[in-house]
Amino acid sequence: MVSARHSLQTKLTASFVILILLISGLTFFYTYGATKSALKESVQDELSQVAGIMATQVNGDTVIILKPGEENTTHFIAIRDQLVAMRANSNEITNAYIMKDTGNGIVFVVDDIYGTDPDAAHIGESYTTGETSTIFEAMKSPVASKDFYTDKWGTFMSGYAPIRNSAGETVAVLGVDMTADKVIAKQDFIGYTIYLIMGLSALIAGLIIFYFSRTMIRDIRKLNNTAEKISMGDMTAMVDVQRDDEIGELANSFSRMVTSLKILMSDDENKP
Amino acid sequence: MSQLSENVLKETTVYLGPASKKFLERQTQAHLNSLQFDNLEKQHIDELAKWVGISAGLLIGKDKAEDLVKKIKLL
Repeated sequence: MVSARHSLQTKLTASFVILILLISGLTFFYTYGATKSALKESVQDELSQVAGIMATQVNGDTVIILKPGEENTTHFIAIRDQLVAMRANSNEITNAYIMKDTGNGIVFVVDDIYGTDPDAAHIGESYTTGETSTIFEAMKSPVASKDFYTDKWGTFMSGYAPIRNSAGETVAVLGVDMTADKVIAKQDFIGYTIYLIMGLSALIAGLIIFYFSRTMIRDIRKLNNTAEKISMGDMTAMVDVQRDDEIGELANSFSRMVTSLKILMSDDENKP
Repeated sequence: MSQLSENVLKETTVYLGPASKKFLERQTQAHLNSLQFDNLEKQHIDELAKWVGISAGLLIGKDKAEDLVKKIKLL
């Protein structure tokens, strides 16, 4: 009796499971990478679109007159509340704010968390991160961050769009943020789902292979047992394998050979 | 060897292998009045099929032997 370790069944099942895992693994990495990239592009599109829509709702003529220290004026509060109301329409957006270019750099004009969060930016507070180049780009048309960036408020991906005055000139930029956690959570969900599907597929495929190899090996063992009995002198042993495949053909050939052997042996026995 | 003997041998070899001729000779000599298998004729087929069924059944099992008998009877 062949040990389980050296059995054809073990070797076949293990080989197929390894093959399936290898193919699944490569597919997983490719699919996950492609999905991650597609998801990022989709988030970027969504952010720039949301920023674009929100920017058209803001009055650029009012934004431009706000000066540092005017955080308690009705104009400021009205725009801030407008940002809060618009931001509330989207579950994905965590911050909305307005910035402008003073010629010496980017500064905040209205931060929607002003009055509710001590970390909120004041009017005129300068903003200097690697993201400023994207904000300058947004003076022309809506854009989104190329990648995640980190500032003192956290790690985000943002969308920006120009705010225009009544003359159609760009006077400021409206920004909306989505936290990295939300994007990463979406990526992780997709990753886990793919991982789960592939894991289950490998498991089911492994079980199917195990089942089929078991029936195959069982019949090979029957043939082997018959050969063993005949080789030990038991001429009553018969081949009991009924299959339509190559193993069935082998069993038929083996059966013919054994039958002939029996005929020849009985012929010899009958000779005087 | 007659054409009929050749055909019977051909069908039997599928089931009993290369010793089929010895087997068939033994059947004709023991049960068909010492007939030489090579001289087999149509009138002997039913009797030969009967004894092939009995003897082959002991070697290859009843089901396979019955298949062989049917094929011999059709020759």
